[in-house]
Amino acid sequence: MELLVAARAFELLLGWSLTLQTLESLHVIRMDRISYWPVQRQELPRRPTVLTPLLDALMQPGPYRAMLVLRLILALMLISGGLGLSGAVLLFLIAVVLLFRWRGAFNGGSDFMTLVGLSGLLLAQTGQALGHAETGWTACLWYVALQTISSYFVSGWVKLLRPEWRSGAALPIFLDSGVYGPLPPDSLFRRPRVARAVSWIFTLWEGCFVLALLDQRIALAYCASALAFHFLVYWYFGLNRFFWAWLASFPAVIYCALP
Amino acid sequence: MDAWLLGTVLLLVAYFAALAWGLRHRGRTLRGPWLFFLRAFFPNWKFFHAVGRAPRLYVRGRDVNGQCGPWQRIYPQLPRRAWHLLHNPAVNLALTQQNLIDHLAQDINDLPEGADPQHCVSYALVCRLALDALQGGHWGDQTLIAQAMPEAAAWQLELRMEHPGLPDHAPESVLMLQSDFMPLPARAA
Repeated sequence: MELLVAARAFELLLGWSLTLQTLESLHVIRMDRISYWPVQRQELPRRPTVLTPLLDALMQPGPYRAMLVLRLILALMLISGGLGLSGAVLLFLIAVVLLFRWRGAFNGGSDFMTLVGLSGLLLAQTGQALGHAETGWTACLWYVALQTISSYFVSGWVKLLRPEWRSGAALPIFLDSGVYGPLPPDSLFRRPRVARAVSWIFTLWEGCFVLALLDQRIALAYCASALAFHFLVYWYFGLNRFFWAWLASFPAVIYCALP
Repeated sequence: MDAWLLGTVLLLVAYFAALAWGLRHRGRTLRGPWLFFLRAFFPNWKFFHAVGRAPRLYVRGRDVNGQCGPWQRIYPQLPRRAWHLLHNPAVNLALTQQNLIDHLAQDINDLPEGADPQHCVSYALVCRLALDALQGGHWGDQTLIAQAMPEAAAWQLELRMEHPGLPDHAPESVLMLQSDFMPLPARAA
């Protein structure tokens, strides 16, 4: 994959992922009756002293909503290809503010991967602003690809170290506890042989994701199967943000694979 | 193979070897307010990696006659909808609130002997969650608990560490924290 094509695909998909996340965040404002900034602010780091008043101001309903609307506009600009360094900086800063708003993460892994994407974008736009667009985008795509492959690699091998995953016993337990769970009583995943086979297939597939770097055709196949994997994760655990956040990283994986 | 390619391949091999080594060797856990808020910059990518004890929140109400309702678990399990792949705020909010319960359990574990968990921010937020459940709060069109008790005079929460059970480990439920009964705040008219 050419650098320009990979960079543009990355921008499009990251922008799309950010758009969906932001629309959800705007909706969440009306639904959330638990978060309470006067309590949450008590655990903020005391230094720098400017942090607490700054966040106090941003967490007021009006400014918070305005910040999300700004994020939505920036995400649409990213999709259109018209986002420069200042836009990338703003997107990154808003992401950091949202980490404080949600006590470190709103949706765990998808926030982590979105931040990886935004850090990469910042790297690329900085390079571009300094007149080294090619170096900036190459660094961005390699950073995103390495984090993406690490995510599968770690997630796979850490499971293989656990006896409950090797035996397949963990699979129905996690699926039962999923947000769309529990599994029906006659689910195939309750059969120990099926659960063991599925567990081994998924964990080995994850653990060997690094092989995607060997060849772009392997990378394409890996990314296509990853889409199916993330769809299943969404289907059972409701993690829709994971689907889009990881999808945004696939152009980087394909670009970094050997041609 | 040219020198650049060879160098890149060697670096990649070294990186993933170090990553694999790190999975088997637990390092020191760094903690602090900045690391707590900015932990997303240091993702560990360990998803669903182990079956173990997980914190579960329960709530119950007590009416004016002193009669207690049943303990009810607050745990998100919602119906799937066709549009959830694109737009799923209720489920994501519910998962965030479950995460809050995990943080409370972690905070309690980290407290020094004899310290009061009521001073933790996570405790204050979990109280809001339990109270909201009792008063009929919902995730989308799904209530947090089956039987809300909005007219209760007092309420109480319980945090239990629950193990779902494995072939070599029986299911268990261990009490971690039980609050005193607390009066319900007056509701806005």
